[in-house]
Amino acid sequence: MNARHARTTRAPEPHDRTGWTGSTLRTQVWVLTARSLRAAFGDYRLVFFGLLQPVVLLLLFSQVFSGVGSLPGVAAYDGYINYLMPATLVNIAMITAMGAGAGLVAETYTGVVGRFRSLPISPVSVLLARTFADTARLAVQLVVIVVAAVLLLRFRPDGGPFGLAAAVLLTLVVGWGLSWVFVAIATWQRNVELMQAVSFIAMYPLMFSSSAYMPLQNMPAWVRAVATVNPLTYAIDAARALALGRSPGWALPLAVLLAMVAALGGGAAAARNFRRSA
Amino acid sequence: MRKLGKMERARIDVTGLGKTYGPVTALTGVDLTVAAGSVLAVLGHNGAGKTTLVDILATRTRPSTGKASVCGYDVATHGHEVRRRIALTGQFASVDETLSARGNLVLFARLLGAPARAAKARAEELLEVFGLTEAADRPALTYSGGMRRRLDLAACLVGSPEVLFLDEPTTGLDPVSRTGLWATVRHLARSGTTVVLTTQYLEEADRLADRIVVLAAGAVVAGGTPAELKARVGARTTTVTFRDEWSARWAVEEFQRIGLAPTLDPDAYTVTAALPDAGVILALLRALDRYGLDLADLTVTEPTLDEVYLSLHRAKWQQPPAPAAVERDTA
Repeated sequence: MNARHARTTRAPEPHDRTGWTGSTLRTQVWVLTARSLRAAFGDYRLVFFGLLQPVVLLLLFSQVFSGVGSLPGVAAYDGYINYLMPATLVNIAMITAMGAGAGLVAETYTGVVGRFRSLPISPVSVLLARTFADTARLAVQLVVIVVAAVLLLRFRPDGGPFGLAAAVLLTLVVGWGLSWVFVAIATWQRNVELMQAVSFIAMYPLMFSSSAYMPLQNMPAWVRAVATVNPLTYAIDAARALALGRSPGWALPLAVLLAMVAALGGGAAAARNFRRSA
Repeated sequence: MRKLGKMERARIDVTGLGKTYGPVTALTGVDLTVAAGSVLAVLGHNGAGKTTLVDILATRTRPSTGKASVCGYDVATHGHEVRRRIALTGQFASVDETLSARGNLVLFARLLGAPARAAKARAEELLEVFGLTEAADRPALTYSGGMRRRLDLAACLVGSPEVLFLDEPTTGLDPVSRTGLWATVRHLARSGTTVVLTTQYLEEADRLADRIVVLAAGAVVAGGTPAELKARVGARTTTVTFRDEWSARWAVEEFQRIGLAPTLDPDAYTVTAALPDAGVILALLRALDRYGLDLADLTVTEPTLDEVYLSLHRAKWQQPPAPAAVERDTA
């Protein structure tokens, strides 16, 4: 009760005290990224299951589809895991990117983003922070799954540690670009169920009509056609080539370029939507 | 812009403001002025347009028609300048629930440009003032409604807002928390902060506001000082409950004798009458006391928002549609 007493006897002094009316973009991004990271890593249950999910995904795919390893076009990889693993990196990036969008919607729902929108801060820094934090989360996931694959599934990429590191790095760039697409969808829809419905429609075709699980040559013609225009195919091909110590060719610059286009386009759309009415 | 002293300059100026969402008109033709350091209460039911009005003034929503300026800056074209000078709390602008009270306050201070140490110091100060020190390190998720509202308000006061928007600040609060919040709002207004608050309760508007505007279906249907509005709406009502029907019937005559127009409910032994002024209560009690009538209960109730609406509608029907019904707030 003496809390209430204190409140009435010593009310806050609001005026001409602080003179704080805005911060630099760098401070905003730094403070907001730290906030999102604390939220992402603060709950050990969230961290544990977040890390477990991709491992389960990899275990399932590598075992259920192990027969694929003997198919033409895969046999040369000396085990399906070597073919599958780099693609799994990219798919994890995709799922995490989707989480970035869902997270933004969830925050809009609880209201903290609502307050951000009434503060003298740039919408870009709110959104940038979100994608940086999610990319940091992705980095931890990728390291865990690479270790798990090497230890549990005899993943032995010919590219060695450096090739693997390059593949992980590329995946981070792609994941960051993808997160902007889902952030843009989130600022557009602002409804968790709808957001997920829209995201899943985007996610499954991107994941499966690609070279992720099977070489394109084994697919029906129309799926092959979809896969060749699927931007993820280039990211997967590039990640696979890097990990396995082959030349990625055009796939690498194309994948990086596509990620940047996604980031710029998604970012522009998201920043515009973010200020729009609730 | 006119050169005026800080205190005399109108902090908020709204003309012909309207907002439509597709086919729905949320706000239409709103005119109002709020002087610096004054408290404006926006009174209305759910869906009357209160939140839309606050959202536009806080630059969260763009107006469809009309103009609005806050601290001399147009909300549509100079949103960033407006946001540097305002703070907002309400159902759609809240805190980070995963962070503690301290974490939230430090976060908002840092975002406003406070250096790390100053942000921590300001957070401590506000935690103490708002009685949140004990719960300062618990996630906001675990707070009670009253604590949440205190934290929301504290978050608003991290900087030095010139204008504070409070969207239904006391809805769902217990009476003690509500009184505490009222005291804080009064103190802020006294120290020069301009406050715009929305409410569904005439009593709250009456206690806090210098001026009140009544919104209905997106339009301003009445405005003025609390005294003016109450004078238009009509009187408070007293309800006296007696021990038996005979006393109640007897009392009716006494009510009439001192000039009231009582209504008898013989089953509940109650007599109800509108009070032209508070002094009548004394005359009434003297009259009842003279005959030794034993009271079981006596209540005096303020007119409710429903009665405000009803009386405004009555006024509309009785008079030709006069522009006086949309009184301009010229503070």
